[in-house]
Amino acid sequence: MLETRAFEPEFLRKLDRLVLGIKRARTVRTGQRTLGRVQGLGIEPENFKEYAPGDDLRFLDWNAFARLDELMLRTYRADRQVEVTALVDASASMGLPERDDKLGLALAIGASLAYIGMADNDAVRIGAFAMHRGSMKLEATPFHRRRESYLNFKPFVTSVRSGGDTRLGAAVDELLLQRRPAGTIVVISDFLVNELDIEDALKRLVAARHDVKVIHVMGEQESTAAYPPGLYRIRDAETGEVRETMLGPATVAALRRKVEKMAARVREICTAHAIAYAQAFGAGNLESFMERELPLLGIVR
Amino acid sequence: MGFLNPNNFIYGLSLALLVLIYLRSRSRPTIEVSSLMLFDDAPAPVASVRNVRIDPLFWLEMLTLAALTFAIAGLYIMRPPSPGHGRSHALVFDLGAAMSARDGSGTRIDQARQQAMQTIDQAPVGDEFSVIGYALEAQVRHPQTANLVDLRKALADLVPMAVPARTTALRAALIRARGASEIDLFADRPPAPAILADAGSTSRVNFHLVGSGDSNLAIVSLDPGIPGSTRGRVVIRNFSARPHPAEFAIDLGDSEQFHQTMMLAPREQVVAFFGPLKTGGLLHARILTPDAIDADNSRYALAPSGHAAQVLVLSPDAAVRDDIARVLLAVNANFQIVTADPAKYVAQSDAKPFDLVIMHDCYVPALKAASTLLIYPPPVAKGPQGISVNGTLASADIRADATGDSTAIESLTLGATRVVAVPEWMDLIATATGPNHSSIPLAAIGRAAGGPVGVIAFDVRDHLLLAPDHLDALVLTVDLIKQLTAPRDILIVSTGADVSVPATATAKVTQPDGSIRTVTPDKWGRVRIRPMQAGRYALESGGQTTQVLANYYDADESDLGAKPQPEASAPAGKAAAESSAQSARQVQPLVFILIALALLALLIESAMLIGHAGRWRMRHV
Repeated sequence: MLETRAFEPEFLRKLDRLVLGIKRARTVRTGQRTLGRVQGLGIEPENFKEYAPGDDLRFLDWNAFARLDELMLRTYRADRQVEVTALVDASASMGLPERDDKLGLALAIGASLAYIGMADNDAVRIGAFAMHRGSMKLEATPFHRRRESYLNFKPFVTSVRSGGDTRLGAAVDELLLQRRPAGTIVVISDFLVNELDIEDALKRLVAARHDVKVIHVMGEQESTAAYPPGLYRIRDAETGEVRETMLGPATVAALRRKVEKMAARVREICTAHAIAYAQAFGAGNLESFMERELPLLGIVR
Repeated sequence: MGFLNPNNFIYGLSLALLVLIYLRSRSRPTIEVSSLMLFDDAPAPVASVRNVRIDPLFWLEMLTLAALTFAIAGLYIMRPPSPGHGRSHALVFDLGAAMSARDGSGTRIDQARQQAMQTIDQAPVGDEFSVIGYALEAQVRHPQTANLVDLRKALADLVPMAVPARTTALRAALIRARGASEIDLFADRPPAPAILADAGSTSRVNFHLVGSGDSNLAIVSLDPGIPGSTRGRVVIRNFSARPHPAEFAIDLGDSEQFHQTMMLAPREQVVAFFGPLKTGGLLHARILTPDAIDADNSRYALAPSGHAAQVLVLSPDAAVRDDIARVLLAVNANFQIVTADPAKYVAQSDAKPFDLVIMHDCYVPALKAASTLLIYPPPVAKGPQGISVNGTLASADIRADATGDSTAIESLTLGATRVVAVPEWMDLIATATGPNHSSIPLAAIGRAAGGPVGVIAFDVRDHLLLAPDHLDALVLTVDLIKQLTAPRDILIVSTGADVSVPATATAKVTQPDGSIRTVTPDKWGRVRIRPMQAGRYALESGGQTTQVLANYYDADESDLGAKPQPEASAPAGKAAAESSAQSARQVQPLVFILIALALLALLIESAMLIGHAGRWRMRHV
């Protein structure tokens, strides 16, 4: 139920002053990935440059030629719109532990980022993925650009339910098949999958020239291993595998170490591929996460 | 330390149940987690931990149940009485017929009462006493009290009954007295040492022997014979170790039939013949010579009526008809018996009603009869008077006998027996066991609107009634015939037996001592009384009077010079002395402490559960 928080006016007011930390001039020319501001197809004049053979003659500045007798080319700023996709993991593991409401946290973060992205009229959408009966189910909203249409996300966000397996690689495959222009993709997941799958998926997003950002969500009970002590049968929500374990101080310590180790590994993968990484552990601190932690990490400004 | 109700340890099974519940539902609850990857480094549970998990909730529940079980079982400790607190005494009185025996100026119960008063008077102020009596059963006549006025009244109300004092009743009385630190037992004969030893394990037992004389005569039996045909006889026994004169008389109605005085040798039993009587009626034999016990000096019997009663015997088997006719003539030679095959019998519409109809393996519904006896009734769709047959067993064993007067039936295998469902208005006389049946009615009698109805479930073919090794079957049949043909307004029973009498309204019962009480009839229109005094009871209900004549005789009880019971290997006095040697300690029940302990454990458990609920939510509690 935490996802509905992202549509509360009071919460949205706090997000009004934030903007996405996106490299704006990401327009590309003839298939090359270029950093910085470059020639684009926009309408806002930016600069002049000398003509070079092969330049588009439609941009020749004839007035300058008449005055200076030099062939000058007028350049324009590229379109500033960037496609932003908040990709939320909706697998069964995101639904547990129930009291943590991890999926609600992930959707709330995704919706919040969409709202922030709309500040610059960027095209924003929210997607959710999970593997169901052997096939990847990736559902996403249409792109919306203006904040007036922000509430169009609400039916989708509130309808997402956890279930199925986490297959990050398959989700990325499905996303890339849509052949959208390179943009910003925010992956929000608990990353309770094989680390090779994580690395492979993120690498392929980066390779497709997307600006990738990772938000690692974990539940408070899950990350602190706050289970009642005793002898238990534990069942994996995704695989159904059952194991017996004795929950006690030693197990709690081991669980915490494991969570830290897994988080460190995801961070390591992200760092290696210049991906911004943020941890949202615990549903209770959504606001501080959005207002303080994300700006610190540069995901928003 | 001991237990007042050790049988209640059966509740200890709840502990086993708790362990089962614990092992099943609490040992390994299943929780669903987001991923088992998180538990990869968690240590695996070791086997010992799986089996014996230290779960405080479980142990608290065990403690609660154990405490409650011990409380129900009556855990107590023995401790010296606290200074300033009175001790508790139980005064246990034998109320059997022998306690009514005269000894000197008073009776034995008077002596017992006097000794009890001395005990009460000698006890320190503040001591509490209870009064318990026993004969056929044990009964607390007055609970623990320090009020001497109530106590004296309870003692004064003790009246011996005309029944024998049973050993089981004595045991029950001593069990009821267990809460007392001291038990004073007043009886006219020493009980078995084992009984005293049992009681002495928890309380100090003081045995008070009352009575010393042995001069007693008793009428053992009275047989009226058959009026106009055979002589009657009365059996008289001298229980004294000395010769004893015996003057006795026999009355038939208001006229004396026999009067004789004879000298009985020590412990002699004589048979005196009289008659034959000229007519039937109520016969009353009395010993006129004063002796110790009055209850066994009087006996009633019913001489069969001289009028020619009409009896119809229906049976598909000619041999059975013949056997039953012989039995009927043995009961009353004046019976006029008609026998017939039910398939060929045609009832005359204008015929005079029969006094008794006996139907064997058949049922003819349209017969007019004052009383009916069904022997081995057939499984017809609609049985007579609500009696139904639910099957037939190849054989059955007589299990119990409730006739009282007849000889005790122990175990006798009968042949084919119907499984009869007896309606509630009938009284069971005997039951049997059979294959897959723990108890089936074997003989029953009741009074329906059309007159008395009797049922005998076993088959009497193959001359069963005349077979010498099946005498009990014959006795049962004769008893039923006698009861069915007896006058409606007179019942002769043994003391202590349950008697049911038809009544249309609340009955007024006049007892032999002249006291009157009222009894409400049950939904079947019967009142039940249990004569505990020998003599004549009169029941008046709806303008009709029924006389219940209670006879008492018990060879053991009437024998005032009887020695201790044969199983007593050691002198009773020794056991009593041994138990008296114990220090006078008081039973201190721990019930309240145990219940407090259980409540404390429950409180702790509740607090822990609330804590768990606050921390882990209700799902994990």
